[in-house]
Amino acid sequence: MTLPNPPRSRSHAGAIPLNSLRVSRWKERLLAYCFLAPSLIVFGIFLFYPLGKSVYLSLFLTDPQGRIAEFVGVDNFTAVLSSDQFYNSLWVTVKYILLTVPTGAAAALLLAALSHQKLRGMKIFRFIFSLPMAVSVGTGSVIWMILYHPTLSILNYGLSFLGIPAIQWLTDPKWALPSIAIMTVWLNLGFNYIVLLSGLQGVPDDLYESAKIDGSGSLRTFFRISLPLISPSLFFVGVVSIISAFQSFAQINILTKGGPMNSTDVLVYNIYQDAFINYRFGSGSAQALILFVLITALTILQFKFGEKKVHYQ
Amino acid sequence: MKMKPFGKKSLAMMLLSCMMLITAACGTSSGGQVTGEDTANAAASDSGGSSPVKVVWWHSMSGDVGKAAQQLVDEFNASHKDIVVQAEYQGTYDESMNKLKASLGSDSGPTLIQVYEIGSRFMIDTKAITPVQQFIDADQYDISSLEPNILNYYKFDDKLYSMPFNTSNPILYYNKDAFKAAGLDPEKPPATFAEVADAAKKLTKQGQAGGSFAIYGWFMEQLLANQGAELLNNGNGRTSMATASQLNSDPAVKTLDWWKQMVDDKSLLNLGRKTDDTSKAFAAGQIAMTLDSTASLRSIVKAAGDKFEVGTAFLPKPDAATKGGVIVGGASNWILNNRPEAEQKAAWEFIKFLAEPKSQAEWHINTGYFPITTKAYDEQNVKDNMKQYPQFQTAVDQLHQTEPSLATQGAVMGVFPEARQLTETAIEEVLNNKKTSKQALDDAAKEITSKIEEYNKTVGH
Repeated sequence: MTLPNPPRSRSHAGAIPLNSLRVSRWKERLLAYCFLAPSLIVFGIFLFYPLGKSVYLSLFLTDPQGRIAEFVGVDNFTAVLSSDQFYNSLWVTVKYILLTVPTGAAAALLLAALSHQKLRGMKIFRFIFSLPMAVSVGTGSVIWMILYHPTLSILNYGLSFLGIPAIQWLTDPKWALPSIAIMTVWLNLGFNYIVLLSGLQGVPDDLYESAKIDGSGSLRTFFRISLPLISPSLFFVGVVSIISAFQSFAQINILTKGGPMNSTDVLVYNIYQDAFINYRFGSGSAQALILFVLITALTILQFKFGEKKVHYQ
Repeated sequence: MKMKPFGKKSLAMMLLSCMMLITAACGTSSGGQVTGEDTANAAASDSGGSSPVKVVWWHSMSGDVGKAAQQLVDEFNASHKDIVVQAEYQGTYDESMNKLKASLGSDSGPTLIQVYEIGSRFMIDTKAITPVQQFIDADQYDISSLEPNILNYYKFDDKLYSMPFNTSNPILYYNKDAFKAAGLDPEKPPATFAEVADAAKKLTKQGQAGGSFAIYGWFMEQLLANQGAELLNNGNGRTSMATASQLNSDPAVKTLDWWKQMVDDKSLLNLGRKTDDTSKAFAAGQIAMTLDSTASLRSIVKAAGDKFEVGTAFLPKPDAATKGGVIVGGASNWILNNRPEAEQKAAWEFIKFLAEPKSQAEWHINTGYFPITTKAYDEQNVKDNMKQYPQFQTAVDQLHQTEPSLATQGAVMGVFPEARQLTETAIEEVLNNKKTSKQALDDAAKEITSKIEEYNKTVGH
C-alpha cells in the first residue's frame, strides 16, 4: 500500500513546502474518515452502542417493564452459568449446529457436483436448486408449519402410503429439533449451493483434462482435484453456516417457540424469551455476552485449525 | 502525469456529498412521517366540524372474532360524531402486551388496550393506567347489572381497574355423532374424570382418537379451580401479594395423572400447545372430544357444519361431588394514563358503549363470549340465538353455577404469562415420560416461586 509513496513525496518535497504537505496528508486522512463515516455511523448505532449497553444491562436487575431496578454486579452471569436452562440451551444449540451445518454443506455439495456437468437443460436444475434462497425465513417457516401440521400434515399423508405411522413433527420432543433442522437445511441450501457451484466452476478445465489423460476416474478426480480446490468455498460455507446456526431464531419462534419441553430452545431463542418476553434484560444481556464470547472463540479456532486445510490457488 | 492530491475544491465537494447522503437518508424518513400525520389530521378535520378525538384501541381479536370487534367499533364511530375509535390488531395477547411494554415511557402507545385477564396484576403494577373506577365514580355509572362473577375477577382491593370486555371459560366439546356410533348417549356427556377417560376409550377407533386437549396452561388453571384448588398462596394472591406457587398440590398431580393416563391409553392425542390445532382436528372428525374456550364456539360449530352435531358440556371434575367452578377468562380494557384527558374520556365513552346490553348481545351472538351484563340476556336476538344454538347455554350455565371462592376468583400474580409457559413445559415433560406428575409440578412450582420472588423484589412491594 505504501509502496508508491516515497518517490512521489520526495519529488513533492522539492516543489512544495513541508507545511502544505502536512496539510494535504491531513486532508487525505479526513477524506478517508469521510468515506468511512457512513459505515462507522451504522456500526456505531447498531453494533457498538448496543454492545456497550448490553455490558451495562448485564450488571443490573430490571423490573417487568425493563427499567433498571437494582445493581447486582456479576450475579446475572453466575445465575446464568449455574442454571440448567442455560446448559440445556447450549446443548440444544450444539445439536442443532451438528444437524444443520455438515448436512447443509454436504447436500449443497452433492447438488453442485451433480449440476456442474455440461448437459442440456442444466440451467433449469441450477435455477431450481438455488430457489430456496428467494424464500424468506418467515415464509419458509409458515410453509413448513403446514407441512408439519399435527393432523393435516402432507408429509404424514405421504408416509401413510409407506405404512409408516404419523410422526408428530413439532410436538414430539424427539422430532422437534430434527424437523427444524430439516427445514433450515432446505432454507440455506440455495445460498450454499450457489457458493459451492461457483467454486466448482472456478476450477480450471486443463486440470480436469490432465487428470483424464492420467486415467483418473470421476470419483477420484472429484476427491483429489475438485474438493481440495473448492476448499476455500467449503470453508466459507462452514464458517457462515455455523454463525447463522447460532443466530437461528425466526423458524424456531414460528414453528415451536422453543418447545416441546425446551427441546428446541436454542441460545438465541432463550435470550429473546428472557429479554423481550419476560423483560429480564439483565440475564438476557449476560447470556448474549456469553454467546458473543463463544462465537468469537469458535471463529478464531476455525480460522486457526480449519484454514490450514484450505488450499488457496 | 502528475498525481495531484485532491484540491481544496474537490475535497469540499466530497465532504458536501457525504453530508448530503447522510442527511438525505435521514431526511426522507422524517419527511415521510410528517406528511403521514398531515394527511391523518386533514382527514380527521374533514369528517367533523371541530376535529373529533381519536382513540387508538389495541386489541387481540383475530378472525371471525376480530370482524365482530371491528363491527362494534364501526357502530360506535357511526353513532358518536365527536370520537373516532381506531381499532388496531396487535397480534396475540402476549404479543400485544410486549408491544405495550416496549411503548411504555414513550407516547407511541394506545389510549386503550385489551389485556388478557392474567395480565391484570402487571398492568396495575405498571402504574401507567387510569383505573376505570375513577370514571365510574365521576359518572356515577351503574355497574350493578354487570355479571357478579366477572366483577369478582376484575376487582382488586374492591376497585375496578379495567373494564371487562370479552369473557369466556373452557367447556368440553364433543362430537354427538361419534358418541352415537360408539354406543354412548349423546345427550349425557361425561362429567367426571373417570367418565371422560371411559368415553375416550370407547370413542377411539381407526382414524379417530377419543379426544385431545391442547397443552395450554389455562386448562390446568381451570381444571384446578373446578375442584376448588388454589394456584397460589395468600388466598390465590387475592388477600395479599402471592409469594409462592401451589402448582404441585395434590389436586394438580391427580389431574395431570388423569391426563397422562389417557395419553398412555392412546385414547387422547397429544397435538401440542395450540388450541387451533385441536379444534381443526375436532372439526375434521379426527378427535371426538376436546377442551376449548367458549369463545371458539361459533367457529367450531361453523367448521363442523353438516358433518356432525357439536355437543357442549361442563368442564369435567374429579368426581361429581367436588365443589368448585370456572374462572372468568378473557380480557378487559385498560385506559393508559399518559394520554390527554379528553382522549381518556373518549375511551371511557367507548368502554361504556361496549358494555351496553345491545352491544354485548351482538358480541355474544357473533363470538360465544358471554355478555358481561346480565341485561343482555333479555335482548330478543340472544333468546333466539339460544334456541337455535343450544350449545351457547352451556357456557352461561357453567358461569352461573360457579360458586364464588378464592379459587374461582382466579389467581393473581405479576409473572402469570411466564408461569403459564412453565406449567405447559411441565405438562409436556409428563406426557412425554420425562418426569412423573409430582416431579414435574414440584420443579415448575419451585421455578414459578423464584420468578414471583424476583418480580416482587423489582416491583418493590
